[in-house]
Formats: sequence, structure tokens, C-alpha cells
Amino acid sequence: MQRRHRLILTATVFAIGWALTIALGSRALLNYESAAGTVSAVPKAWPASQVPLANDRPTIVMLAHPHCPCTRASVGELAQIMALIHGKATAFVLFSKPANVGSDWDDTGLRSSAAAIPGVTVLSDPDGAEARRFGAETSGHTLLFAADGRLLFSGGITPSRGHAGDNAGESAIISLVENRTPERAETLVFGCSLPLEDHTGSPTLASK
Amino acid sequence: MKSAAIVDPPPLDRAEELFQNHQQEIYRNTDRLFARLMLFQWAAGIVIALLISPRTWAGSTTEVQIHVWAAIFLGGAITLFPVWMTRVFPGSVATRHVVAVAQMLMSALLITLTGGRIETHFHVFGSLVFLSFYRDWRVLIPATIVVALDHLIRGVYWPYSVYGVLSASPLRTLEHAAWVLFEDFFLVVSCLRSVSEMRAIAKRTAALEASEQSSRQIFEEAPIGMALVGLDERFKQANTSLCEMMGYSEQELTERTPLDITHPDDVGSSKGLAHAMLTEAAPSSVEKRFIRKGGDMLWATRTATVIRNETGKPRHYLVMVEDISKRKHAESALRDSRRELESAHHAKQLIMDNSQDVICTIDELGRFVTVSAACEQLWGYTPAELVGRQYIEYLVHPDDHASSKTVAADLRAGRKVTGFVNRNTRKDGAIVDVLWSLSWSESDRIVFCVAHDVTERARIEKALREAKEDADRANMAKSEFLSRMSHELRTPLNAILGFGQLLERQSPSETQKKRLGYLLGAGRHLLNLINEVLDISRIEAGNLQLSLEGVRIEDALAEALDLMRPMAEERNIELSTPAPLDGECFVRADRQRLKQVLLNLITNAIKYTGAGGKATISYERLGTNAIRLGITDTGAGISPDKLARLFTPFDRLGAEHSTVEGTGLGLALCQRLMQAMEGSVGVKSTLGEGSTFWIELPITDSPLTVAALRKSESLNRENGATAGKRTILYVEDNLSNLMLVEQMLADQADIELLTAMQGRLGFDLALQHLPDLILLDLHLPDLPGWKVLEQLQRNAATCRIPVVVISADATQRQIDRLLAAGARAYLTKPIEVAEFYRVIEDMNSVAEETEVAAA
Repeated sequence: MQRRHRLILTATVFAIGWALTIALGSRALLNYESAAGTVSAVPKAWPASQVPLANDRPTIVMLAHPHCPCTRASVGELAQIMALIHGKATAFVLFSKPANVGSDWDDTGLRSSAAAIPGVTVLSDPDGAEARRFGAETSGHTLLFAADGRLLFSGGITPSRGHAGDNAGESAIISLVENRTPERAETLVFGCSLPLEDHTGSPTLASK
Repeated sequence: MKSAAIVDPPPLDRAEELFQNHQQEIYRNTDRLFARLMLFQWAAGIVIALLISPRTWAGSTTEVQIHVWAAIFLGGAITLFPVWMTRVFPGSVATRHVVAVAQMLMSALLITLTGGRIETHFHVFGSLVFLSFYRDWRVLIPATIVVALDHLIRGVYWPYSVYGVLSASPLRTLEHAAWVLFEDFFLVVSCLRSVSEMRAIAKRTAALEASEQSSRQIFEEAPIGMALVGLDERFKQANTSLCEMMGYSEQELTERTPLDITHPDDVGSSKGLAHAMLTEAAPSSVEKRFIRKGGDMLWATRTATVIRNETGKPRHYLVMVEDISKRKHAESALRDSRRELESAHHAKQLIMDNSQDVICTIDELGRFVTVSAACEQLWGYTPAELVGRQYIEYLVHPDDHASSKTVAADLRAGRKVTGFVNRNTRKDGAIVDVLWSLSWSESDRIVFCVAHDVTERARIEKALREAKEDADRANMAKSEFLSRMSHELRTPLNAILGFGQLLERQSPSETQKKRLGYLLGAGRHLLNLINEVLDISRIEAGNLQLSLEGVRIEDALAEALDLMRPMAEERNIELSTPAPLDGECFVRADRQRLKQVLLNLITNAIKYTGAGGKATISYERLGTNAIRLGITDTGAGISPDKLARLFTPFDRLGAEHSTVEGTGLGLALCQRLMQAMEGSVGVKSTLGEGSTFWIELPITDSPLTVAALRKSESLNRENGATAGKRTILYVEDNLSNLMLVEQMLADQADIELLTAMQGRLGFDLALQHLPDLILLDLHLPDLPGWKVLEQLQRNAATCRIPVVVISADATQRQIDRLLAAGARAYLTKPIEVAEFYRVIEDMNSVAEETEVAAA
């Protein structure tokens, strides 16, 4: 009987510890996932980019880190957007690539996933030059430009870091492409920091 | 029902118990399932984290992704506690609820680790389904609450992570919850149905168990033997009764077939039964014999039926064996009884038809019911004429009606009557005496009678009675004659021998002595002859009076030898005395009669042994209970053909033609005396060498104390005898006898003798002188001696005076009568002088004691 009481007491202590541990762990995880990346000044119009702006339809540009696991969710959401808009927009995914890495550094599964999305053009962004042009600092940052070069949308297309699912960014892009008014034109971006080199050169975009 | 419940509380609901057991088993099994599942999920989470997001990047720098740590540590935290609970508290409510919470937390973690893939969300619904495996809808509550709280908390604090917007609509929360609740609803319904089915199963199982228990109990506790026999005809199971019946254990039976324990004579008929049953629906029942383990036979009824499964396929046989040995024995006994009854009936009919006695039954009203054929011979009526008739009124003599009715009443009271005789009147008017044996049967209310014609027997009995009365009278006459003859012969002999002995004491000349010897010898021979005739007569009449006591056999022999030594010396016969016995030996005998036998045998040894011969006396102990005394002579011996006649009275075996004197009564008398003393006498003889006569007597205890007392008394008497002068009164009508006694007492200076020749005078003298002793003859002229004795006894003055009767009447009846009337002693004539003196001495002692007592 005494042993059983001890067990119950132990279980109670364990249960309390368990709940606290899970609560703290979950909180830390959620904090991590909910921590939005930084965003610098985003151009209001199509910048002087090597990426060609489509003149007959909106153009979607996503800046991504080829190794960021969180961006997998963003690519997934992009695939969903592309499926929903049925070619009404042109999309580019620019994978930033530091200068001092090998040629295959950005040859990742994420890039392959992005390349497999119909209507999406995948380009390497050496030194993150294009990222800087588009004002992106966080992987997964997605921008929508109208055919006339106006910025329609800027932000992430995931509800949290690396988390797929309905989100305001995705809804906004679809709405804009469909000529509807979105709830929001900006969202938070969740993802890894892009590898942006601080120099003035103008590296050339490359496709693989 | 209510009162029954109060008196005897119902037992634990077995169905509820089974349900709870089953439910608990499900809880534990599901606990184990979740323990494994959660460990798997934990591992899967780590793998997923490592595969999907092993590292995170910040520019070109990288580090381990937090998902990996979350998978390891948070996943571990979520997993380990519930797993521990399933091990420590398996099946408990708390465990289930902790598991439910953990499972939903694990869903959240996995969704996070997979980047919120929509597919991973199915884990939530899958987990709920898994939780419903508990079949406890309540575990869905904490699971649902966790989902709700997850959404609620994240919706409040991290809404972007749930809804992708910073402020979500409550409807989204409701929508999310609705899906979960939607599934919960079906799962709850499923759980409740499942529980309901479990209860139903438990009830059915309980009912089945109860049924099986009943069947098992019926099987095990059945008073008849029961067994399950396989289709291979081997015992599969046997109950206790069968094992006890057959003497085998259940294990031993299962190693056998029913045929193995079947009686060899019944094996043939039993062989096809099993196969026949497979084709027949009805059970088969046969009576057969089994052989028990001990080898003895058992009669039993074997009933067998085929047990089939639900498809009708035979599974095994159910065999029931009932011990009918007792019934068989009873049937056998009944058959025997019937046979006996038939035999008895047949015998009874034979007896009824052929018996000389009438066998009949009479009802309680006294009417004949059945009568055997012999009635015609007894009463002259045929059975048909008697049946229905009142027996007493119809047949019994009127004078015997009353006694017959009394007997009838006694019979009905339950008494059995045998030997009842009454007189019946025959058809021809003749009177017959009928002896009845009657027995009343209470159950049949009937009297069983056997009537026997005893008319002739009654006549013979009457004749016998008359003949016996005649014989008794003749015997009385003979006794009277012997008494008279004894008296008449002894009276003159008394004078002859008495005076002869007195003359011997008066120093006669040699010639006179020789003549006196002839005189006394002839007188004694005649006296012996009379005595022996009287003894034989007494013994044969059963009147011999013996005083059996412990007699020292050596003393008796010494006394006899003292008497016989002169005779032996006279005839030049060496009389060899035996060596003393090792220790004293007392035999149970009458001292005088024993001495008489010894004298007789020693006399014979001396008489029948020639001069110079030898007579040797010897003892031989026969164990511890008897002794044999043998007298061996060296005479001519006796031929075997004569030995058989040796103890026949008056048969002297040819010695009557010799010079040897004898009466032929001695040995006959010896034999009868020894038999009367519970001893025996015998002889072995070799012709030409001699004979050995022996007597055997039972050994008895030493009467030392009595002897010592008697000796002491004797000494006292002797001392007292010399104290003063004594007076003796002798009443006798015969002058010679008076003179004889006077002569015998002449030498006794201390005795004064008074005489009277008439009874009345004797009585007067007794009153006048109050003598110390009275000698009384019985045949007196004026008054019989017994009358004188009676008067002396009646008178206070004379009643204490000792009276000695001296009479020639030596019949025992007379002696007994006088002793009973008050006489102290009885001397027979002719008087033995020595005995006379001894009696005088004894009476003097008694007289002295009387005086002392009177003083």
C-alpha cells in the first residue's frame, strides 16, 4: 500500500514535471517557429534586376536559401499557388549562392523541388545580388509584381517557420493574380537568413 | 425475490466480472500498444527531423535545426512519461488519460516536425481512432482538450502559426474543433457500442460458463458413472463415480477403451455398438458386465449417445454407466426366492396332500379356510365339508369349548401355542384327542394350524403313567424289603459279630480263637455281602450320598494298607508300598468310599495272587489335574475276553468254581463308586503275568486350614473328655444288643450307662437324668424310635442332648430322615466297635461344648 502511494506520488511529480517540460519545450519551439525573419526595404516597383519581368502577367519572385529546411514549406506553398492560378503568373525562385562555395552548393533537393513546379523558373543568385535588389534577407521571401512592374505583394507564404498550411501570404498572391483584393499585401517571412555578400559587383544570374 | 435477497445475498455478477476483466485486458493491451506506438513515434519524429530539417542556415553558416532537438528531447519528454505509466499503472484511468494527452502532443510535434504537412494532420485523427481502441470514450476528452488547447493557446499567442494570420477568426477555431468533435462523435458512439457488445459477450460468456459449470458439475458429481469416449473409442474423460465404480483412476481409464474393461462374454455384443450409434440418432442402452480393476465383475446399464458439433459431425460419445449389481443380485435373489417359493408351495402341497397330520388355516372368526386331505382320516370329514365351518362349534367336544376359546384368544394376542390338546368329535361320533400347534399371522389375520391325532399316544401315555406308578410302588416295596432284610439280617449279625469281637478281647484259647475267627469271618463276609448289595442298590437308585472333600491319597492308602497287611502276611504276599509322592496330593473323594475301593482292589490283588506273589502299589501323576493309583499283582491274569465282563455285578468270571471267596459285587461297586466320585477305574492284564487295577481321581486343593481347625477341635475335645463322668442312655429293646453295648462301655470308667427297652421309658429317663448322650434304636415296642427322637427334640430340657441312632435299617432314606429330624449320628448294626467308640468320643466332645455354651 505504501509502495503504491509512493508510486502515485512519483507519478504525480512526474506528471507535473512532464507538463512543465512539454510546456517549456513547446513554447521554445513555437517561439522559434514564430520568429519572423528580417525584411529590408522592398522596392515598390520592379528593380533593376536580371530577372525578366513578364509584361503580360504578374511575376512572382521568391528568394530562397538552397539549404533552408524551412523554405521547403514555402516552395510547397508556391507549388500550391502555381497550381491554383493556372499560369496566370510567371514565377522565379532565386537561390542565393555565396561566392566562395562550390558550383553544386545550391544543387539541393529544395532547388529540384522548386524546379519541378510548372511555370516556375529556378535561378541561382550568386552572392545574393538579386536578393538585395528585391530587399529580401530571409529565405522564402516572396514578391508579386504586376505586369507594369508595380509591387503588389511582399512577404512569406507560410504561417510560421517551415510550416505549411493556409496562410495570408498565399491567399494574398492568389487574390492579386485573380484580380481580387487581398486581405493583406504584406506578411511576415519565416525562414533562414539569406547568404548576402556585401559588395557592389553585379553577378550574373544563372540557371542549371 | 426481495426476501430471498435478504436471506441469501446474490453472488458476484459473473457477467459484470467477465466484462470488467475483458475491459481491463483491453485497457492493458491498448496501454502496451500505445507504449510501443509512442516509442515508435518518438523514433520516427527524430528520423523525420533528421531527414527533413537536420540543419538550419543563417546565410552561409549552418547549425543543427531546432526540430532535431525538439524531436529528441521534447519528443522524449512526451513519450517517456506515458510509457512509464503504462508499465507502472497498466490499465489505470490515469494512464489512459496521460496516453491520450501525450498522443495528441505527439501529433502536434510531428506536425511541427513535418512542416505542417496536411498529411501529418491525419495523425491527429488517427490518434483519436487509436485512442478509441481503449473503448473508453472518456479518453477522447483529454485528447480533444489538448487539440483545442493547442489551437486556443497558439491562436492566442502564436496565431500566425495556426491560421497563417496574426489575428484569426474564432470561426476557424470552431471549424478545427468541429472536425475533431465530428470524429469524436463517431468514436464515442463506436466506443459505447463496443462496450455494449462487450457486456453482451460477457453475459453470454457468463451464461456459457454457468452452463459449462453446470454440465461439468453434473458430469463430475453425477451419481452414475459418466465418461466421454473419443471416436477412436478411447476414454477421454471420466467422472469420479465411474472411476470409483471401475476401480481405475481417470488417468488409467484414459489409457483404455470401454472394451478393455468389458467382460469377455459381452465384448462381442459391445463391439458394433459404437459404429451403430453413429448412424442412429437415439441413444443406445444395454445391460452388460464390466471387469473392475480388482478383477471382480460389475453389472451395469451402459447408455451411450453421440455428441455432435453444430454441423452434425460426431465429436465424441457420452457414455453413462449405472451400477445395477444390487438390482441384478436382487433379481437373482428374487428368482431364487420364486423358485424356493414354488418349491415350498409344491412341498407344502405335497405335505398338505400326504401329511398324516391335518394342516389347515382358520380365519379370525374361527372358520376353516383351508384344510389338508388328512382331515378325512382325523375327523371323517372331507376338506370341502369343513371349509367355511366354525371349527370350535363344529368339531370340538363341548367340555373343551372354553379352553379352546381361551387358546384362540391367546393366539390373537400374539402368543404361539404348541402342545394344546383338546377333544374333537368325529363325523362318526367317536371322540379323538387332537394335539394342536398354532401360530397367528397378524398380516394375514389367519391361524396356521397343525392337528395331530394323539388318541393312541394319550392311551399309551396313560398306560405308561400307570406302569410307572406300578414300578414306583414296586420300587418302594423293594426298598422296604431291602430295609427290612437289612434290618433282619443285621440284627442277628450284630449279636454274632459283637459278641464274637468281645470274646476275642477276653483272651480265648488258640482253638477258641480259631473258631472265633471262623465265626467272625463268616459274619463279616455276610455283612459285606449285605453292605455291597445295599450299596449297589443305593447307587442304582441314585440314593448314594457322598461327602466329597480333599482327601490326602497317601493317608487313605496307608489306612487301607494297615488293614490289609495282616491278610497279606497271612497269605505270604509281599505288599509293596509306593515311594512317597513328591509333595502332598489331595484328591476330591469321599474318604470312606475311597478307602472302600482301595480295600476292595488290594483285597482282590491279595486274593488272586498265589502265595509268594507280590502286590505292588504305585502312583502316577496325570498332569496337574489327576493322579492314578495302580495295584499290580503277579496273579494269573485275566484273558481279554473276560476283561469286558469284569465290572458286571455277580459275574465272577469263573472264580465261583475256585476256592477264592467273593460275591462278584466288589469291582462293580468299585466302578460305580469311582464314577460317583467323578473318577474312574480300569484294568490292564496279561494272562499268566498278572493284572494292574488302577483308579484315577481329580486332584484338588489342600484343605490344610480345615484340617488344622479340625485337629485343634479334636484336641480340645480330648482334653475336655477327662474333666468328669458322663452319662449315656441307651434305648434298645433287644437284650443282646443292650448287653453288647454294656460290654463295650464296661471298660470306660468315666461313663455311666443307663438303659431302657421301651421308648416312653427312655424318654422319661432322659428327662430325669439329662444324660450326656442318648443311643436310640428305632424299632421299639411301644413307640417308634423316631417318635422318641421327636419328643426329645421338642422338649426344652432334652433338645440339646446329642442323640445317636443305632439301627439295622441301613437305607439312605432312613438315615437322611433321622439326621434331618435331629439325630447327631447314625450307626448301623452290626456295630463296628471302632466306629462306635469314635462316635461316643465325638458326642462327648459335643456335650462338653454344649455345657460350656449353656454356662
